[in-house]
Amino acid sequence: MTASAAALQHKLTIAGILLASGLAVEGITLLWAHPLSFLLFCGLGGALVLAGIAVYLFAIVNR
Amino acid sequence: MAAYSVAGLIVLSILLIGLVLFRPSIVAARGGKILAFIALFILPIFATGLGGSIHLEHSKSREFCLSCHVMEPYGKSLYIDDPNYLPAAHFQNHRIPAEQACYTCHTNYTLFGGAKSKLRGLNHIYVYYLKTPPAKIALYEPFQNRECLHCHANARSYEETTPHKEMKEQLASNDMSCITCHNKIHDAAKVGTAKLWKGPGA
Repeated sequence: MTASAAALQHKLTIAGILLASGLAVEGITLLWAHPLSFLLFCGLGGALVLAGIAVYLFAIVNR
Repeated sequence: MAAYSVAGLIVLSILLIGLVLFRPSIVAARGGKILAFIALFILPIFATGLGGSIHLEHSKSREFCLSCHVMEPYGKSLYIDDPNYLPAAHFQNHRIPAEQACYTCHTNYTLFGGAKSKLRGLNHIYVYYLKTPPAKIALYEPFQNRECLHCHANARSYEETTPHKEMKEQLASNDMSCITCHNKIHDAAKVGTAKLWKGPGA
């Protein structure tokens, strides 16, 4: 594996972890109709998903 | 039901992300790149959008509004055993959807009324968790007849009632408020002593 491929793989791993955790948080909040679940959905789940997408896009643009 | 569909989509996204992470060799092929794009970009955006829309739908529920402690007496007032008590009569007789009782009467039936209500809801969450809620809960502005007439206008029970016929113009223009006559509305202070309906089947 070349250095650039390893770097891409590393970024994809970070993106995947961020996205999976964000989606898991979002999924859990959907089971609860409460203002706090909405805040968790946006503030934690949404932020992790956005960060994951940003890392993924950054990884494929800079490969 | 919709929440479970989105939960299914989220599980699918996580499984595909797991596949991309644990079998990195598949990303080398063209098909793998497309799969990674779907798993790491398309599906998360789709799931987040749908999840957000479900949360907005949840925010219309009575359970959601009454989850704030300060709203409890208002929720309880829906069970007052008095047919002339306006919110209770609407709630108990299903003149409004019982599960969206608060939202149905307190949203604003204009083009951006729903969005405005949700922004107000965000402000309520901010005040409830980070500031001190006011001792007396009050409407932002006087209750508009438009909200009542959204359902009652052109209804036979409304149109054929003598006082409504006589004041049709004033009611339509909001010069005369519906609650001038129908004035038995949420009285949180008296809920503790009022006789309450025990609910269907009681």
